[in-house]
Amino acid sequence: MDAEQTTRPEKTPFSLSGRRALVIVPAYNEAEAIGRTIRDLRRHAPWADVLVVNDGSADDTGGVARAAGAKVLDLPVNLGIGGAVQTGYRYAYENDYDIAFQFDGDGQHRARQLHELARPILAGETDMIVGSRFLRPRGMTAQGSRWAGIKILAVAVRLVTGMKITDPTSGFRGGGRKVIRLFAQTYPQDYPEPESLVLVHKQGFCVQEVPATMRRRRGGVSSISMLHGVQYMAKVVLAVLMEALKAPVRLEEEPV
Amino acid sequence: MNWPQRIVLLCLALGMLGLTLELIRRRRLREEYAVLWICTGLMILVFVVMPNILFTASGWLQLDRSVLMTFVCFLFLAAIVLHYSVVISKHSEREKHLTQELALLRDELEKLRAETREAPPMPAEPKPRPPALRT
Repeated sequence: MDAEQTTRPEKTPFSLSGRRALVIVPAYNEAEAIGRTIRDLRRHAPWADVLVVNDGSADDTGGVARAAGAKVLDLPVNLGIGGAVQTGYRYAYENDYDIAFQFDGDGQHRARQLHELARPILAGETDMIVGSRFLRPRGMTAQGSRWAGIKILAVAVRLVTGMKITDPTSGFRGGGRKVIRLFAQTYPQDYPEPESLVLVHKQGFCVQEVPATMRRRRGGVSSISMLHGVQYMAKVVLAVLMEALKAPVRLEEEPV
Repeated sequence: MNWPQRIVLLCLALGMLGLTLELIRRRRLREEYAVLWICTGLMILVFVVMPNILFTASGWLQLDRSVLMTFVCFLFLAAIVLHYSVVISKHSEREKHLTQELALLRDELEKLRAETREAPPMPAEPKPRPPALRT
């Protein structure tokens, strides 16, 4: 991180050609990491507005984020990751953004890679884009059990959609207007990353992946133990399969 | 079924229907949630008046009468619990929607406050919000 702060910002500023971009940062008790995450975004992706959705944090996440220069929406009660992210998409929809990204508040995603997610959407090549840890050339592998979990999920997603997504749990992703509109109306609650891929596929939108690197989680090990991990995986796979059974969302009439 | 049995069951069914209707009348139970309870009361009433329905069914299914009764009770309870789950899902969706709307409105309010502080009364066209999404 320190090394990154000494590097210069993008030499050629990335051009949106008049379109507006929003970065949605869901945050729950992230007062320690959120400031750095936002400074990182403002430095390396100044072309995008930053919206922090403070999901009813008990600490000063909202205050720190405001001080760092982000726009902050404070949810009065904790909604969980799905509800928080959806708030961001609703904001993007109501404020007429052309493209919206999700970006974790804990600092594991890299703001400098954001424009690589933006490019295919702006070029009209895809409706939704996912930053994948497993695509080459950046490819890296997570630790054993986590890697296995992601693989199983990837298989489940592929089974129900036919899409080959290497990193279905990645929260580093973005979408264009169609996706913003869909997610503003309907967004899964419990395990939104893999479920939303199925949802998007059901609407007939396309999804692409680009390589991305992520930092290792700072401080300590993951709180998910082995047994919990298995239980967790079973729930997510079930959620993905159930998502596949649901009827497609009927989007409401485009407002005139 | 003998008469004492019938009378007890009849009282039970009427009591249940009466209680349900009374709760609706006092506005402590909304009709949409009362439907299943009314159905349950009516069902017991039907069995009291025409117990032969049950006896015939137990003959067809080759189930003991008491087993069949337990089974019917279980089905009703299961239906009611399932109905509750549906209601809870609906309410959590609404609660989420309201929470989000509250955060968005609070933000809008802050924006308006800041604007009025900076530039006193300016009759600007308010930017129309897109219609609310039904979720």
